[in-house]
Amino acid sequence: MAIAVKLDDLLHDRRMTLTELADRIGITLANLSILKTGKARAIRFSTLDAICRELACQPGDLLRFEPGPEEA
Amino acid sequence: MSTPYSAALPIARVVLKILIVLNWLWGAAILALLVVMPNEQWIMSAFDLTPSPETERLVMGMRAIAVLGLAVVPLSYVVFKRLLAIVDSVRAGDPFVATNASRLQAIAWALLVLQLLSLVIGAIAKALSTPAHPLNLDAGFSINGWLAVLLTFVLARVFAEGALMREDLARTV
Repeated sequence: MAIAVKLDDLLHDRRMTLTELADRIGITLANLSILKTGKARAIRFSTLDAICRELACQPGDLLRFEPGPEEA
Repeated sequence: MSTPYSAALPIARVVLKILIVLNWLWGAAILALLVVMPNEQWIMSAFDLTPSPETERLVMGMRAIAVLGLAVVPLSYVVFKRLLAIVDSVRAGDPFVATNASRLQAIAWALLVLQLLSLVIGAIAKALSTPAHPLNLDAGFSINGWLAVLLTFVLARVFAEGALMREDLARTV
């Protein structure tokens, strides 16, 4: 997937763990892990909204387009 | 939402299990007719026939029908066994998976071959039937049968699409 999720970097910058973020935004740790590891196929606007609100960032800080080989 | 289906699924499960057993018994019965009792005289006396070229043709035709009837057994097994697996997956609460799409596809192909066999059996029966010895078999072209084939192929595609959509949803955060 050419879309990279930079959640790890954002959490590191804010000294926050994934579990803490999961608790604050009300999303299960399992689902947030799927997002963090880049295994998610789609992200809801409501999830994006909650993460950006909590981490005080822009969607562009969380998602980055990194050109690579196209997925089959 | 699941209340109306709560009785249907256990009933379907029991019926399918019975059908699987009956299918094997049916197969064993045909096999017995073909192997254990191949005696032409026995068949002629059972059907009250007198030896003649016409009755010999009739006996040969009936044997051919029995062989084709034997081919129906594994095909029916494919249908019942896969349908049972689909019913079980619904009971487990996870029916929209790619496996069920392939199961339905296999059922559709089995139903298609069964319809073709029915056409052949019907044609043989029609060719053998004479006013003196009418052969009335419940075989031949059936609009409902072919509709079931079409419906199952379409349902298999619907399930395949549904499985993809569900997978997408499962990985939506």
